[in-house]
Amino acid sequence: MIELKNVTKIVRSGVEDLTILDDVSFTIPDGEFVAVTGASGSGKSTLLGLIAGLDAPSSGAILIDGENVTEMNEDDLATLRSTKIGFVFQSFHLIPSLTAFENVLIPMEILGLKEAKSRAKTLLEQVDLTNRGHHYPTELSGGEQQRIAIARAFANSPKILLADEPTGNLDSKNGSHIFDLMTELHKQNNVTLVLVTHDQNLAETAQRQIILKDGRVLSDNLNRRDAETQSFS
Amino acid sequence: MNFILNLTFREIRSSWRRLLFFFLCIAIGVGSVVALRSLIQNLSQAVGGDARALLTADFEISSTNDFSPIEVQKIEDVLGKSTIIEARNEAITTSQMARPVDAANESLSFVELKGVEPPFPLVGNFTLTGGKPFDFSLLENGGAVVSPLLLDDLKIKVGDKIKIAEGTFEVRATFDEEPGGTRGFRLGPRVFIEKKSFDSVGITTGAGRIRRQILYRTSESPVEIVKQLRTSLKDTILRVQSYRDTEENFNEQFTRTENYLSLTGLLILVLGGIGVWNVARVFVEQKRKSVAVLKCLGANGTKIITVYLLQILTLGLFGSFFGVFLAQCFLWFARTQFNDALPTSMKYSINFSVAWQGILLGVLISLIFSALPLLQVRNIKPRLLLHDATGEKTRKLDTTKTIIGAVSLIGLLVLAVWQAGSLLVGAFFLVGLGVTSVFLYLAAVVLTIILRKFRGFSSFAITQAINSLYRPGNQTRIILLAVGLGAFVVLAVQSLQSNLVREFDFTRNQTLPSLFIIDIQKSQIEEVRKMLEEKTGEPAQTLPTIRARIAFVNGEPIDLTNRETRQQQGQIGREFAVTYRLNLDKNEEVVAGTWWNEISEVPEVSVEEDMARRLKLKIGDSMTFDIVGRKITTRVASIRKIDLRNTRTVFIFVFAPNVLENAPQTFAANVIKKLPETERQRLQRNLVDRFPNIQIFDVADIVAAVQKLVNNFVLAISFVGSFVILSGILILVGSIALTKSQRIYENAVLKTLGAKRLTLASILLAEYGLLGILAGIIGASFATALSFGVSKYVFDIEWEFDLGLTLLGVLVTAILVMVVGALASFDVLFRKPLATLRSQ
Repeated sequence: MIELKNVTKIVRSGVEDLTILDDVSFTIPDGEFVAVTGASGSGKSTLLGLIAGLDAPSSGAILIDGENVTEMNEDDLATLRSTKIGFVFQSFHLIPSLTAFENVLIPMEILGLKEAKSRAKTLLEQVDLTNRGHHYPTELSGGEQQRIAIARAFANSPKILLADEPTGNLDSKNGSHIFDLMTELHKQNNVTLVLVTHDQNLAETAQRQIILKDGRVLSDNLNRRDAETQSFS
Repeated sequence: MNFILNLTFREIRSSWRRLLFFFLCIAIGVGSVVALRSLIQNLSQAVGGDARALLTADFEISSTNDFSPIEVQKIEDVLGKSTIIEARNEAITTSQMARPVDAANESLSFVELKGVEPPFPLVGNFTLTGGKPFDFSLLENGGAVVSPLLLDDLKIKVGDKIKIAEGTFEVRATFDEEPGGTRGFRLGPRVFIEKKSFDSVGITTGAGRIRRQILYRTSESPVEIVKQLRTSLKDTILRVQSYRDTEENFNEQFTRTENYLSLTGLLILVLGGIGVWNVARVFVEQKRKSVAVLKCLGANGTKIITVYLLQILTLGLFGSFFGVFLAQCFLWFARTQFNDALPTSMKYSINFSVAWQGILLGVLISLIFSALPLLQVRNIKPRLLLHDATGEKTRKLDTTKTIIGAVSLIGLLVLAVWQAGSLLVGAFFLVGLGVTSVFLYLAAVVLTIILRKFRGFSSFAITQAINSLYRPGNQTRIILLAVGLGAFVVLAVQSLQSNLVREFDFTRNQTLPSLFIIDIQKSQIEEVRKMLEEKTGEPAQTLPTIRARIAFVNGEPIDLTNRETRQQQGQIGREFAVTYRLNLDKNEEVVAGTWWNEISEVPEVSVEEDMARRLKLKIGDSMTFDIVGRKITTRVASIRKIDLRNTRTVFIFVFAPNVLENAPQTFAANVIKKLPETERQRLQRNLVDRFPNIQIFDVADIVAAVQKLVNNFVLAISFVGSFVILSGILILVGSIALTKSQRIYENAVLKTLGAKRLTLASILLAEYGLLGILAGIIGASFATALSFGVSKYVFDIEWEFDLGLTLLGVLVTAILVMVVGALASFDVLFRKPLATLRSQ
């Protein structure tokens, strides 16, 4: 479970302080698919980064499975990311010096998994890139790179998948393929999926949508289909 | 651990091209250290390894006088009891003039004459040309075995006869290898004759600079017997030396040379280290996103630093191995190029201990110079994957960084001390290097600031070129520092050479004589004067010389049992040529005491200032001289400084008149007039034909020999300097490669905006041309300052600014940098812009 309690993030911009997130609080239960939307500069990516422990909030607390992320040191955060969180970026962020296969392998090697290689092969199969494993990122298309990034994100079977505009750099066909892949893996593995997107259509497929505006939560609603599902259950 | 090793392997696999310069920087540095150290160690082994062969005996007793009966008795008293003496022989050496008997052949040569007796040699090899061993019968009944050089000098062949003093000798063979080898500076080729011929041809009568040796071969170590001899002979002027002394002296000299050369190697390695630091810095900059991704995937900073550190160490290790290989290639090259100048027994392989030391140095330098840049990895935050942040805030006081910086500095000091073999020299080297680098860097900063002002006043290409020197992440100052340092070393050496050579240029120095004649007997002086006046049309300048030796200083003999004094024995225990005169010479200046203007009742002497310092003399001290066995005690009346630049003769001791007039003396004469070479040779030949005992120095020959020495010295330093330049160029190429992506992007934008290839090429050439000019100016300025300082305060010679050399230095540096820069970046011009712009 992800809990945000009065999270504020202020950065220094020139001589002025700029509030990126302002007193944000919400909770995401395990296995939920949440879309975070909002205009550019509303604080979506910062929010995702704070949940992953990639940055620290100026105030407030973020708890993952009851553990306060904001109190962790760099090494603890690294362990947290390695064991519980997968991340997919808009611009893929594959390591250019490694092949596709090795990029998938890396998180498992960091954790010291014994069956890393066979699992990496399975993951490549799942994203339908078995034949492209020996290629370097520069030799892959944008869609292929993002599929490798997704395989990498799922490598350590994280409980949480954070995706920052994963289809933003892709054409609609590839974007749709990537989205389907993520949601499928989310369902298969029952992971919590937090998706930052501009695309309202994608956001509506989520169970819940949080809209940010100027760093504050403008709305936090269950999507209609899920609301109906919930009301019948 | 698996992750660390796997990632290290993968990183090396993908980044080796980018780190090739790292590899080469270490390889060149290690190669220099190993090559220089091996060369000097091999030379040391070849020259000094067999000290017995060098001395041609186990020990020797030598003197510049005849051995007196008392001295012989003392020697017999000690050696008579000894059971270790296996064999003994005597030898006499001196210099003489040799000429062919054939009157039609007007050649003349100065020779180093050695008279020997059987069994000869006691120790060592004497191999004749063609490989046959020496046979003493070759010298019997007027035979001579000579250096092949003499045949060239006198235009003669084996079987011809030559005259030396009053004697005639038949050249019966030439030799390839002589016992004792060729040591030190020689005025002429070696000639071996029978010892007993010395007296028969009148060489030993009246001539100075004769060295007599009694040599011994022993069955056991001669150390104890040599000690006994020294004690027994302490009141005499005899010198006792064992091969162990020679060995010690050689070892000391070679160790010192080896340490200094190792420091030079270390300088090149440190330059390589600067290259390493540069590569590591930019490498980390380029790896920021990968590091952020790894952190995002859960790797911690320590693991990532370990990966890159392992990568650096692996490359450092392989670079060091390659450096050892380069050093071996250099030694092979030295064998093909300098075989004639180096001893025949010299090996050209690398010693195992030198190799591992080189490898260790290479790895440590890699570690020391990459540690600080690699620490930056800690500051890379994974959030930069979300916001394309350009820089991470660093804490004001980074304790780890400070500690690592201090450890690196101490590490460098330890390496310098290790290589120099002395804490003081090592520390001085490091401080000197630091101060020089700071000054070079400051000069680079100042020049680039000045250059920036010219942006608005010049063409588009030059303006863009200047802008390129300031682009973010530019390597301008590092390139200026490295190339400037290389240019500085080479130009400083060149400038010193031109000043030294100018100093020895006797055609410019009007006060130097063209001929210098010595050993003229009193009975010959009038005739010599007349002959010189006839031939030159000028009155000859002659002066009396007496051979004297220091017996006591303030009533005390010089203690030669003490090793330090014994090492200086060459300077203070030798026989001096002294003179007497009323007037101070033009090139002399009294620095203490007063010059005698009238004759004192007490015998007085004036001492040259260096000798006065060596003997710790002050005005009023007493000095007793031994002149052909007679002791003359004098009072030190003055201490003189001699201007060696304008000197014709140097007399360490000058006596006041009325002391030595009746002592046995010879005369020296100068020929001041500048005579053409053929006339000089004819005059020399006429003089020697008439007075075979005299010796004539052709000053032009001496100057040529000194110039050759200076040139060899300069060649050696320039050779080392070229390694420094090579390191500078390597840093230049590395820096260009590291900023290439920015250059490609800028060119793509400029092409999109309509710039033609010619314009882009002009910008490229202007950028490197400017860099080269700046590096050249920095190098030339510092070289001029160093050359001035060393000329004035170390060599004490006149210094002249060489504008031609300075301009040439700047031009060559500019062209070199421009060519290397253009070649390393030229492919940038041919890239299609679209792909580049898309990838950004």
